[in-house]
Amino acid sequence: MAIRTEELLMNIGPQHPSTHGVLRVVVKVDGEIIVDAEPVVGYLHRGTEKLAEDLQYTQIIPYTDRLDYLASMINNHAIVGAVEKAMDLEVPERAEHLRVIVAELQRIASHLVFFGTYLLDLGAMSPFLYVFAEREKIIDLFNRLCGARLTFNYMRVGGVKWDTPEGWVEEAKQFVQHLKKQMDMYHELVTGNEIFLNRVKGIGKFDTETAINFAMSGINLRSTGFNWDLRKNKPYSIYDRFDFDVVVGENGDCYDRYMCHLKEIEQSLRIVEQALDQIPEGPVMGKVPKILRVPAGEYYSAVEGARGELGVYIVSEGKDKPYRLKFRRPSFVNLQLLPKLLVGQSMSNLIAILGAVDIVLGEVDA
Amino acid sequence: MFGFLKGLKVTFKQLAHKKITLQYPDVMPDFGERFRGVHKFYPEKCIVCNQCARVCPTSCISLSGSKREDKKLHIDTYDINFEICILCDLCTEVCPTEAIQMSDKFELATYNRVDLYKNIYWLDENARVSDGLLKKGETEEQSGGVK
Amino acid sequence: MEMFTWLDKPMSGMTFLNMALGAVIVLGFILGVVTYTIYFERKVIGWMQWRIGPNRVGPLGLFQTIADVLKLLIKEDIVPAKADRTMFLIAPIIAFFPSFMVLAVIPFSATHIFTAASNVGVIYYIALSALTIIGVVLGGWASNNKYALIGGMRSAAQMISYEVPLAMSLLAVVLMSGSMNLVEIVEAQKNFPYVWYIVPQFFGFIIFIISATAELNRTPFDLPEAESELVAGYFTEYSGFRFAFYMLAEYVYVFAMSALATTMYFGGWEGPFLPGWLWFAIKVSAFIFFFFWVRATMPRIRTDQLLSFSWKVLIPLALLNLVATAVVMTLV
Repeated sequence: MAIRTEELLMNIGPQHPSTHGVLRVVVKVDGEIIVDAEPVVGYLHRGTEKLAEDLQYTQIIPYTDRLDYLASMINNHAIVGAVEKAMDLEVPERAEHLRVIVAELQRIASHLVFFGTYLLDLGAMSPFLYVFAEREKIIDLFNRLCGARLTFNYMRVGGVKWDTPEGWVEEAKQFVQHLKKQMDMYHELVTGNEIFLNRVKGIGKFDTETAINFAMSGINLRSTGFNWDLRKNKPYSIYDRFDFDVVVGENGDCYDRYMCHLKEIEQSLRIVEQALDQIPEGPVMGKVPKILRVPAGEYYSAVEGARGELGVYIVSEGKDKPYRLKFRRPSFVNLQLLPKLLVGQSMSNLIAILGAVDIVLGEVDA
Repeated sequence: MFGFLKGLKVTFKQLAHKKITLQYPDVMPDFGERFRGVHKFYPEKCIVCNQCARVCPTSCISLSGSKREDKKLHIDTYDINFEICILCDLCTEVCPTEAIQMSDKFELATYNRVDLYKNIYWLDENARVSDGLLKKGETEEQSGGVK
Repeated sequence: MEMFTWLDKPMSGMTFLNMALGAVIVLGFILGVVTYTIYFERKVIGWMQWRIGPNRVGPLGLFQTIADVLKLLIKEDIVPAKADRTMFLIAPIIAFFPSFMVLAVIPFSATHIFTAASNVGVIYYIALSALTIIGVVLGGWASNNKYALIGGMRSAAQMISYEVPLAMSLLAVVLMSGSMNLVEIVEAQKNFPYVWYIVPQFFGFIIFIISATAELNRTPFDLPEAESELVAGYFTEYSGFRFAFYMLAEYVYVFAMSALATTMYFGGWEGPFLPGWLWFAIKVSAFIFFFFWVRATMPRIRTDQLLSFSWKVLIPLALLNLVATAVVMTLV
């Protein structure tokens, strides 16, 4: 006679230490094995897209800060890039360089947070504090540049708001060198740890086909071995001038995604280094009309966000406000695969998989 | 095989690392001159052009002015609702006379939401506190009156 | 040794008073130890993470834990409406009592005043520490909370699995010393060949320290209270002084396990120059430091890996170690 067992319905979140915000995953567990999982989103919905319909293009920029709040600079870059592309505006060289520098520093900061929180999810707490100390240095650089520590609102259509303060470029260079050294420590501390390897190797595996079918992008796609990085494949801004490699994984498991994050930090450091060396003198704001009017039509433009392809789709009627604005939020798209990945896994793997998909709830719920 | 031993070595080495804890609020951090804290307002500079109120993404600024003897517009009321202000800095960017600026004050926590509606007097005082003309909590009379 | 004669005599009013007094003193002592173990943990982990740790309450934050405990004691005693009330109330006590009782056999120093030099010390320790599992499972069950339930079940599986290699690694030491009396084990380490059992039993010691970490529910084996998965595991629903009881039990065990390791493998109070109790304190502190050090470094192991590691790796190795020790002891 078999022992009768019952499935247990559990709510992981919206208040839970490691759902990275207010994600709720309704899981059915049989013992510790997940039978069914359903992510429930929307707890952080602020209606950014709807709000944007009533805002001028400049006014939308501070709202994008709050989408993926770990990578505000890249969000800024997405919206100003989209408007510039639609209006066919010229951006000064120095501004372009500054944009690349801050976007890549922001990518580093975001990946550092991934590293820290992922290890925190897996139970190691020291890496979290080590990376936040480094991230703090990036945030300080940003603070001196634009006066805010999280919601930067730094870029403007046609350029950037501030030129660098005195000594900023040198400090950024120093930081790049410092972080390069620091990266070895992270690898030594975590990457070689057997417990860590056992937790992440072969977990949450998916192949390129699945990833493409689910419209995944960013590291989630690249970890499967598919070489796709908008900075290389569809260069925007001035990314085609820099020498860097696209990091790809092999197996598409959590370990590959973790390694891709760390290696991408190194590549971003290379870009920042080159950009800091090449940065020309000049204005940081181009000639733009006082009131921005995007010509009537539909425009799509995307940047490689910290979590994938961050697209901005503008439908304009030729007014100073968009008729409709759609953000293609990579976190939201990447989250789709989660239920498929979770079925058959144990509760502990839920955290490892969810952490490696690397979502930011501000972006999922927009 | 023994990768975790390396990790133990790393954490052990960190015992001697410099402590990075900030001693806030005993030691206030230096945020630099571009820091975007709470606004400060200089009523005498304002020309009531209303640009700040129009550019504000959250419409948290409301102001009114009137013509005085010199045939110029003077500001009468200037209110910022810090419940919805997102400190985005767009208002200071459009201000032609730099009448509205950001100070480095950032501690806004109160027990009452009404306290977050800051009027012209508060913002003016904040300007003088942040410029060092007035000490915190001091009133006009005590400092000898600036105006 | 005159004052220990009451150990062997029939119970009388005076001996009972002696015992009660001894228990109270040990309790007071252990509360002090736990208070500063927690402080020490927070400081050490803080330093390892570039922080300064508690520094607000009292000089250098020395009274931080006392303040925390006082806060816990005056908090409202919340019992969830759907909880199994009686079970919920007694579970923390069940969990705590054995942790305190195992201290009875720990020889703190050469003149072990309040220590029962029991002939079955090792067995007594293992048997009693196993009782805590009941408190933990009961707490998890009675809370009527899914996280707590899974936490309780996990800890039951984990503690039972790791009790076996722990006991077997200790048995190897027992084989070497020929006694289960912890005092005699310490004294046996004074005899020829004048080495602590860590040297001949190094292999056993590794097994012991791994199982001990698992037994203590400390990182990397802190699955029952795995914060990032189970919120707080079996004590999710507990607050106030009942929560304090669980924490107390956990830290008393940290101390007890360190003391046991010191006794079994590091010659207890033995050591040159310094007084015995100081040697004991130093060795125990080193162990406690080690647990905290590991906690600051390691990620958490997965449940299934944890169990298969115990049954497929540790237990066979412990058995092998036991047999090898037995063979060597017979031959030598």
